[in-house]
Amino acid sequence: MHTIMSKGASLKGVLLVVLLESNMFLPKTAVTSLPVCPSGSTGCQVSLGDLFDRAVKLSHYIHSLSTEMFNEFDERYAQGRGFITKAINGCHTSSLTTPEDKEQAQQIHHEDLLNLVLGVLRSWNDPLLHLVSEVKSIKEAPDTILWKAVKIEEQNKDLLEGMEKIVGQVHPGEIENEVYSRWSGLPSLQMADEDSRLFAFYNLLHCLRRDSHKIDNYLKLLKCRLIHDSNC
Amino acid sequence: MGEALPIHHSFFCARYPLVLLFFLEEEANNMKQNLASSVIFIFLLFLNTECLNEQSPPGKPEILKCRSPEMETFTCWWKPGSDGGLPTNYTLFYSKEGKEQSYECPDYKTAGPSSCYFDKKHTNLWKYYNISIKATNKMGSNISNPHCVVLTSIVQPDSPVNLSLEVTQAAGIFYLWAKWSPPPLVDVRSGWVILHYELRIKSEEKEDWETIFVGQQAQYRGFKLLPGLNYIIQVRCMLNHGEWSEWSSGSYIQIPNGQPPGRPELLRCRSPEKETFTCWWKPGSDGGLPTNYTLFYRKEGDKSTNECPDYRTAGPSSCYFDKKHTSLWTTYTITVKATNKMGSNISEPQYVDVTYIVQPDPPVNLSLEVKKQVDGKPYLLLKWYPPPLADVKSGWLTLEYRLRLKPEEGEEWETIFVGHQTQYKLFSLNPGKKYIAQVHCKPDHGKWSEWSAENYIQIPSDIELKDVIVWISVAVLSVICLIIVWTIVLKGYNMVACILPPVPGPKIKGLDTHLLETGKSEELLSALGCQDFPPTSDCEDLLVEFLEVDDSEDQQLMPSHEKGKNMKSSHKETDRDSGRGSCDSSFLLSEKSSEPRVPPSAFQTPNLSEIPENNLRKSNFEIQTIDRKGKIPNISTGGVKLSTWPGAQLPNNQAPKWSYHNTADICKIALDTVNVKVSSVLVGTEETQQIQHSKPIETISEEKLDKKGEMKSLHSKVHQDTIQFLSNEKSPFLSAKLMDYVEIHKVNQAGTRAVLPKQKENHGKTENCTVPGTSKEYAKVSRVVDNSILVIIPVSSVQTTPMFQDPLEESVHNLQQSQTEKNMSYCFTAPSEHKIDSGGIDYLDPTSFMCSFN
Repeated sequence: MHTIMSKGASLKGVLLVVLLESNMFLPKTAVTSLPVCPSGSTGCQVSLGDLFDRAVKLSHYIHSLSTEMFNEFDERYAQGRGFITKAINGCHTSSLTTPEDKEQAQQIHHEDLLNLVLGVLRSWNDPLLHLVSEVKSIKEAPDTILWKAVKIEEQNKDLLEGMEKIVGQVHPGEIENEVYSRWSGLPSLQMADEDSRLFAFYNLLHCLRRDSHKIDNYLKLLKCRLIHDSNC
Repeated sequence: MGEALPIHHSFFCARYPLVLLFFLEEEANNMKQNLASSVIFIFLLFLNTECLNEQSPPGKPEILKCRSPEMETFTCWWKPGSDGGLPTNYTLFYSKEGKEQSYECPDYKTAGPSSCYFDKKHTNLWKYYNISIKATNKMGSNISNPHCVVLTSIVQPDSPVNLSLEVTQAAGIFYLWAKWSPPPLVDVRSGWVILHYELRIKSEEKEDWETIFVGQQAQYRGFKLLPGLNYIIQVRCMLNHGEWSEWSSGSYIQIPNGQPPGRPELLRCRSPEKETFTCWWKPGSDGGLPTNYTLFYRKEGDKSTNECPDYRTAGPSSCYFDKKHTSLWTTYTITVKATNKMGSNISEPQYVDVTYIVQPDPPVNLSLEVKKQVDGKPYLLLKWYPPPLADVKSGWLTLEYRLRLKPEEGEEWETIFVGHQTQYKLFSLNPGKKYIAQVHCKPDHGKWSEWSAENYIQIPSDIELKDVIVWISVAVLSVICLIIVWTIVLKGYNMVACILPPVPGPKIKGLDTHLLETGKSEELLSALGCQDFPPTSDCEDLLVEFLEVDDSEDQQLMPSHEKGKNMKSSHKETDRDSGRGSCDSSFLLSEKSSEPRVPPSAFQTPNLSEIPENNLRKSNFEIQTIDRKGKIPNISTGGVKLSTWPGAQLPNNQAPKWSYHNTADICKIALDTVNVKVSSVLVGTEETQQIQHSKPIETISEEKLDKKGEMKSLHSKVHQDTIQFLSNEKSPFLSAKLMDYVEIHKVNQAGTRAVLPKQKENHGKTENCTVPGTSKEYAKVSRVVDNSILVIIPVSSVQTTPMFQDPLEESVHNLQQSQTEKNMSYCFTAPSEHKIDSGGIDYLDPTSFMCSFN
């Protein structure tokens, strides 16, 4: 609605007719955002399409934040330390086998992919919590990094919640066991040696950026597959 | 012969002279003379050969050398002495140190002729060998000097083999690296013997060898080589301080003119669709030599390093990773190695995650289209397609787009973020400009693509241009009209003034005389009075009449009409008397017109009596026409529109035009002029009429553009009418002027509305003509009506006059007596007589109309 309205406003000399039309669209769009009440279910639900829209927005945002945070950290603390060479093979979620290219991602069943997304998201609950608390220990840690860590932690929870709803709609009743990859990196974040500690942060942020992209990519793929029948 | 042979014998074979001689004598005696000589010759030859073989005991042989190549066996060679001309046997005897017994050589064959090979069995390393050679033949034997041999002292290895050369490079300097193998016989490995090597080297063009003692290694490195030279290298070896072997065969090496490659640099990696990716590198210097580049990568989690799977697909200095070799969320460690003859160099490693190197191709098929909104305003519709490689549909890649536009000559782009849509409507356009548009795209997390190819579009400006053109044309036209009208007013004024005066004169005469005489002038006036709008025209008519009165018939009319006096004195003066007011004054300003009036002679025609009647008719007729406003077609009975106005005089005709138009505007205009007209009636100036006439035209043209069509038609009608009038009832005096009017009308029909001034010459002519014309009023009436246009050709007065005189006179009489009858008769008679060309339709027969109306 807003887009239509703002467009209408931005178009100079647009006829009243156009405005009227846009007004006519108002109720329609409102209708689409109304919750869908599937027959047989106890309560009204937000449609799967809307759930995916929100999830994709969230995941997109999380990845943007994590990318910014990583770049900021990299610029500030990692210059000339060669962290990248050490950061290989260092993600705690690498134990979860995820598709590594489009073909794999398209071949995997959407329910499995959804569960993988859930697993990755859950795997980050713990580290994100600690990240928020430990970032404060970094010397001269800029507020922006801290703020982003907090934000990501919140959004990740939201996304997890949304994903659980989506999974609940895609295959209702059947809720997967909480599969996730345990993180044991807390001690490394608290190491006395600054270089090691910074590397631990670097690695964590590097992995966060990677996994958030993974999730975002999988969700966009799933959205097109489930909502638009692979014709976005 | 017999004598000579013995001499020969004795000379060569000193040992057997007697035998030979004896033999020869016997032979000679026993044989025939002929045969004997030949046989003797053969024998001589035989003897001779016998003599050359020198049959004697062998000479003393000599032991040349003994050699052991590996300290396990050895071989001795000897040099045979003379064999005494006989087959000679050579036998080698040896005795070992401390032993008396001597042995013969164990093996004459292995080492070739004149040699003896002592195999391992017969070789005792630590003992002396006493060796001698005995040569034996039929004649006797000979023994060489004994040769004492100690094995250790006769060791000389074979040459080293398999000499290979390489060049190493360090700090830009080339070094030799030579490798070889020890001679095959020598058992180096067991440590039984020790070999020492020597290497010599020279550049091809030099004479002197440089010899390097290498030591025990079978390789050598470090000799400095100069680029661009060709070197030859040999090696030899020595066994345990024995003798040096022969030099090996030479090996050659060409030191190229070049350097090892510089360090390549991995420039960037890019994935256009998140499914494959390509890395490009920048080669370092190639050192002037052909250099190979190899890209190595190692994926996170893999232990092995792999070489680039595809160097070709993405062009030179690139490596293409197809889908199989591409994984996301994995770090690739990538290096590039450059190698040439002189060495190699490896780039800094790059760490690549395909996720972060996605940069799509630019969007394709950007199309621009100008469309119109509902209100007709144009907008630009831009459409494009995502790059073909990008899989947008599956959601694997999500693209956002950005447009940029600028006028062709502009410098600054206007960039518009579009979002996920693949089309955009642009409303703020400058019409008439040519725009350049481009689009590019970006994955949700990635880099913007290149801009697409430039697309041009011309925003049409037709709408505004049309407006402008219309307005300009309108302006131009109006200006032209103004100019024309203005010129008409200025120039035509005079002309018309000159032309008109004579016309009204005669009519007025008639009117005046008649009315004045009867004393009904006032009635007449009232009858003709401007009661309605159309009456204004009547007024004009009246004016004309009165004008004529004033001008032409000064003498006659003046006494009868008060106003005449005024006229006489001056037009200006007349204003005061008649109260014509200011209206007239404007018209009166031009006094010139007053002078070229109808010549007095014309006015003095005897037909005066008739004219009043005509005037009366006119007046009546006019009234009628006025009543029938808008019924022009009806009026034009008989299908001839033009014929409706026969009774009107020229001035009258002009007025009726306006009455016909009858549009409010005209009426107003006419009303404005009513006063003037009225006054002008009193004044009787022809000028006023003309001016009035012209004025309305102007106003019409200006104010009633929309009714142009009508107006034009009206004008034409009017003009035609006037022509007809002229032709019909024009008094003889007018006949000459008819021409003038005709011309004017033509001009009018041309649409210029300009009254072309008739040359004054004509004027003069007309005046002249009028004189005869007066008598032939009707005869000069219009002859031809073309279509709706009446072209009046002036009939030469001379010709016409005789023709018309009679009927004219008759008509005059008739008119005077009984108008109706005579008019009727005239109506019938006149056409035939006049031989009007224009069939019956266009023929303007004043009388006929007269008849109808009367």
